[in-house]
Amino acid sequence: MAAYPDFLVTVPTQGDGRDPLRRDRGEWRPRRPLPPFVTDLRPGAFGPFDHLAQIGRAAETAAIGGALVPFDPAGEESLVVAAGLLRQSRHLRVVAGFHPGVAAPVYAAKFSASLQRFTDNRLGWQLDVDLDPAVARSQGDFLRGADRYARAEEFLTVAKGVWHEEGYTYEGRFYQVLAGGFQAPNSGLPFPRVYLTGTSPEALALSARHADVHLFTADQDVETGVGELAAQSAREGRPVEYGLRLPVLARDDDDEAWAEARRLWDLAGGAGEGLPDPDPRTRLWGGFDRIAGSGPFGLVGSYETVAAGLRGYLDRGVTSFVLDARPHIEETYRLGERLLPLFAKEIEHAH
Amino acid sequence: MPIDIYWRIGTHGDQQSLRRRVSSRGEWAPVVPGSLAPGVRNGRRDGYSYVEHMADVARASESSGFVGGLLPSFPFTDDPWAAAAALARETTTYRFMIAYQPGFLHPVQAARMSASLQRATGGRVVYNIISGGGGPAQLWWGDRVDHDDRYARTSEFLDVLKGVWSGGPFDYQGRFYQVEGAGLPEPLARQPFPEIYFSGSSKAAIEAAGRHADYYLSWLEPFPALAAKFAQVREHSTAIGRAPKFAVRVDVLARETEQAAWDEIRRGWAHVDPAALRGADGDSVGWLRSQSFVSWPVRDYRELEVSPNVWGGFHLLRGGPAFGLVGSYQQVAERLDELIGIGVDAFILAGVPHLEEAYRVGEEVLPLLRGHEIRRHSSLSPISATKGSI
Ligand SMILES: Cc1cc2nc3c(=O)[nH]c(=O)nc-3n(C[C@H](O)[C@H](O)[C@H](O)COP(=O)(O)O)c2cc1C
Repeated sequence: MAAYPDFLVTVPTQGDGRDPLRRDRGEWRPRRPLPPFVTDLRPGAFGPFDHLAQIGRAAETAAIGGALVPFDPAGEESLVVAAGLLRQSRHLRVVAGFHPGVAAPVYAAKFSASLQRFTDNRLGWQLDVDLDPAVARSQGDFLRGADRYARAEEFLTVAKGVWHEEGYTYEGRFYQVLAGGFQAPNSGLPFPRVYLTGTSPEALALSARHADVHLFTADQDVETGVGELAAQSAREGRPVEYGLRLPVLARDDDDEAWAEARRLWDLAGGAGEGLPDPDPRTRLWGGFDRIAGSGPFGLVGSYETVAAGLRGYLDRGVTSFVLDARPHIEETYRLGERLLPLFAKEIEHAH
Repeated sequence: MPIDIYWRIGTHGDQQSLRRRVSSRGEWAPVVPGSLAPGVRNGRRDGYSYVEHMADVARASESSGFVGGLLPSFPFTDDPWAAAAALARETTTYRFMIAYQPGFLHPVQAARMSASLQRATGGRVVYNIISGGGGPAQLWWGDRVDHDDRYARTSEFLDVLKGVWSGGPFDYQGRFYQVEGAGLPEPLARQPFPEIYFSGSSKAAIEAAGRHADYYLSWLEPFPALAAKFAQVREHSTAIGRAPKFAVRVDVLARETEQAAWDEIRRGWAHVDPAALRGADGDSVGWLRSQSFVSWPVRDYRELEVSPNVWGGFHLLRGGPAFGLVGSYQQVAERLDELIGIGVDAFILAGVPHLEEAYRVGEEVLPLLRGHEIRRHSSLSPISATKGSI
């Protein structure tokens, strides 16, 4: 497959806001009220999903390829969010994150077959296998260690089994199905595109057999991961694409981007501390967890600087970028209008 | 009386900022990668048109605290009636302020369209009645009626529209319109009549406004000039036993600090064509007024700041009127409070880009307003004495 960049944005699951500590959009925290003498027609007319819908529409309007709704047990439920975003778009692919403990694989597949039918097959799955153990237990899941990957393997096998075969039967350690399988019109649909993560041997082995896209984060050794997974997937005889989840802060020029990083850093409580420097070699800056609540490592700079950073990953085989920038609507427009056009040549070549 | 604050939905595309007068939203510029509504996906147009972005702006401003949006109408724009019909079903509480010139649409048809839109939206239609700026644009529409007669026609138009609104039969013999046995059919006839925001700065406009305006709507002008104009309108209205409210259409460039706000202007100013520093076509008294508050030619953008934060160069950075506010969130809120102090009851705010700035102004500026508090204690207002009677 031709190397091309596929861009997705990340949908917030715990509200959104102009500043790092504000989560007043999407009603995670209360909004600043309008003064009482100003007409306010909103009370009672809006809910949190109106804001999420606007984020999805921003991605659709800005011609972004897709959106990832991460699994977040402390936030909005991703499959429900995904269903809404898909309904209100025509092109956007939406990847819903969840973990195998949330439902039986047949049920997850059944739910997804409906979504595929409703949305011209634009749903993706990101299966989160390795949860923090305390979080897993809070979700009623006590499985530990390598068993988590064994169960994920069975989960995907069974989900794909009932999806593709009528009269499907499976006997496993975790799941059993007798004479299952979907019937028309729930049969014959494309299976949701599967995104997986992790750098452990078990994670890479699972991806080799089941991932359509394997997602890295910028603090991981992407080059080594791509190399190992490429070798394994070749042995499995199926292609895997590589992706990167990456927070970004891009502006007209480097100075403006760093001034904004500084402003957000101060607002996030860093005023007394110096702004950390980016890594001189990789140009990655490690302050995003603080200013955006995302993973720590990402790129700050002009559109050209950020594009150059992404090209570095493209050269290492990464073709999907799941970008994260807040506030989500404004930044999604920005990415669509300013960053993506810098990849217009590559995108045109791939199609 | 509560203050209604509207936003503006651009009907001819949008720029990414005031830094460059280049449109990338809508079909007013070539559709290339990075354009949106229509956008380019995988090398091909995505099948959308500018209405998608208008819907985004409507929802952005609806959810950040604005009661509605003004939809302007010019030869080069999308049509506001069509836009309102399309956006009606995509919003919940949002009011559509439709700008239109009576004269291009028969008043009976305008009544029918309005009543249907009221039914579609639960009564969310508002009118911005404008009577045209003359010159080539007026002829472009096929309208040869001269300035003062346009206001006479506007008056007749509204008489007929109101006449047929609550059912018939209604007869009318005017200079511009005649109808016999007219009236909206039963279910359409039971809709609330749209509020009228009436614009025009000329004598003819102010007379007509006295008769028809629920709100007299002006562009922003230096505050004393605006207060004087409001006083004129009030005088005319009182004479015929009416009492319109006042509204002002204000562009806003607000940032965390005043410095950051002027920095945006400075960046835009660097691209202004020096030849564009003057130019007024047609017979619009309002526009000539707005140009008279500044002594042209100007060399530096700060020369257009006629009083603190009141800047008369917005038309050089984007299409539209000249005056707006530039400053910190706090300063802009204070200036808006001062406008409330001189009698403003409603605002139509706007900023470029409209989507992003709707969030900013809704989240950062509106919560800082103190309004009435100031109006009560204000010695600023030359009309504060009469205000109480309105
Ligand atoms: C707030 C406001 C909005 C206006 N919007 C429009 C518009 O959308 N289309 C248009 O052709 N003229 C518009 N105008 C201009 C009017 O048609 C008219 O030219 C202007 O009010 C001057 O009238 P005057 O000569 O009575 O002062 C607007 C004017 C104001 C004050």
